Amino acid sequence: MTVSSRDASVPEANKAARSSLPALAAPAWLGPGLRAGLAILGFAGLWTLVTVSGLVNRELFPSPAMVWAAAVELGEEGALGSDLAASLGRAAIGFALGSAAGVMVGLLTARTRLFSAALTPLLTLLRPIPAIALVPLAIVWFGVGEGSKYFVIAYTVFLAVWLNTHHGAAGIAGTYIRASRSLGAGTRREFFEVVLPAAAPHIVAGLRMGAALAFLSLVAAELSGASSGIGYRIQESRQFFRTDRLFVGLIELGALGALLDVLFVAVSRRVIHWEH
Amino acid sequence: MAASPAPVPSGRVRVDGVAIRFPSSGGRQVDALAPTGLVLEPGSFTALIGPSGCGKSTLLNAVAGFVPVSSGRIDVDGKAVSGPDPEVGVVFQQYALFPWLTAAQNVGFALKRFGLANAERRSRALAHLAEVGLEGRGDLYPGQLSGGMKQRVALARTLASRPKVLLMDEPFGALDAQTRVSMHELLLGVWEAHRTTVLFVTHDVDEALVLSDRIHVMSAGPGRIVETLDIESPRPRRVDDVDATYLENRNRIMRRLRHAR
Repeated sequence: MTVSSRDASVPEANKAARSSLPALAAPAWLGPGLRAGLAILGFAGLWTLVTVSGLVNRELFPSPAMVWAAAVELGEEGALGSDLAASLGRAAIGFALGSAAGVMVGLLTARTRLFSAALTPLLTLLRPIPAIALVPLAIVWFGVGEGSKYFVIAYTVFLAVWLNTHHGAAGIAGTYIRASRSLGAGTRREFFEVVLPAAAPHIVAGLRMGAALAFLSLVAAELSGASSGIGYRIQESRQFFRTDRLFVGLIELGALGALLDVLFVAVSRRVIHWEH
Repeated sequence: MAASPAPVPSGRVRVDGVAIRFPSSGGRQVDALAPTGLVLEPGSFTALIGPSGCGKSTLLNAVAGFVPVSSGRIDVDGKAVSGPDPEVGVVFQQYALFPWLTAAQNVGFALKRFGLANAERRSRALAHLAEVGLEGRGDLYPGQLSGGMKQRVALARTLASRPKVLLMDEPFGALDAQTRVSMHELLLGVWEAHRTTVLFVTHDVDEALVLSDRIHVMSAGPGRIVETLDIESPRPRRVDDVDATYLENRNRIMRRLRHAR
């Protein structure tokens, strides 16, 4: 009785806590896009100042203008586009495989005692293994081709999505299940119409984390045994001591990751509209 | 449409020697409910009142089929309760509305077991919402409704599955006093129209006195019924216009509750 009343009061409390947070001290008339643009411009200005001051070796720490020139050069060579396509393709396929498996296994381990007992200890053992430690094994198993990259990315995404889905689906308020059963819903309807939407906010959070991790493990996968992609280009730039090109790769990763996250949040706001 | 025949009185609940024990920490058993017997006559309104820990919600959950009994037997119209059943509807204190569904879809969830076409299901859901005073609110999500409106949707949803018995676990406990009074009127109107057997758990003496035909006062350690009162005051009753019998009953329950702890 007291437990259920506490459960239900949590979202209210969260809402109150969220709305009582003091607004960040940024002028309200600036849109979020404009604010981000100004912040980036300011940072680039500071970066330029540091590089022209002579305090740093510009071979090691190139100026924004030098990085821009390297980006234009890469674009003219055609490497910029082909790297982007190769990396995005790998991330997308690895993410699709890993997240599909993660959602399915997470729902199984959360809602069935057998799978929970069999697989939850495995999850605890697998979690500490970082993606980069799996690269040698992936190469032994799948060769230096695309298969090993998909494997490393999918594995990383899978763990994050599994964990979040499991927590979401295992922590569903008991009253939802009780209400569903006493309203005559069978196990099938309970799963698709109650468990799945109730766990959706956690599943989406897992997918968002998985998308970010897909990029992190992508670089790990491409640093060894690739002949295209942003990670490969970063490695190649180091070998030729082209710090300017190396910076292009890093900025690409940052911009892509940020863009993807913004898109992800925009889409998930629509999918799980009741959470906002 | 042909007029349906008058419903056969049903929804008789018999609780016979029911005891409920829970395992507690240290491998011991806690007696949540000592062996208890009671009968809910078809169409009657019964309240369980008592301090927290007196087993009133446990007993309601057992009738709902959520909690197994350790000994004894509960049956509805002669059929033993073995799990949740749409014939025994439940209204929860925390509403338990599905926040991803609109009000009409929440009611529609209960209607799905009747296998209706989508359009028919929606129009019936809207009719059920209208019955609890929520015309034109069908497309709002629970997050857009006040506490009182949420509980109206929850009541409409439970009634939509056409239960013979309606179990209510402190349904108005989270509402302010004014909303509570209007919910009492609404509930009594709905009860008069459907004549569902109601079991109502509360810790509010006035709520029990205004609503019920019979009140079981419960006590903790272990949970048990310590007194049963039949409330014969004529309906409709009002908390702001009480008679001597009301006060007499109120004093009796209050004295019982004070000594129950």
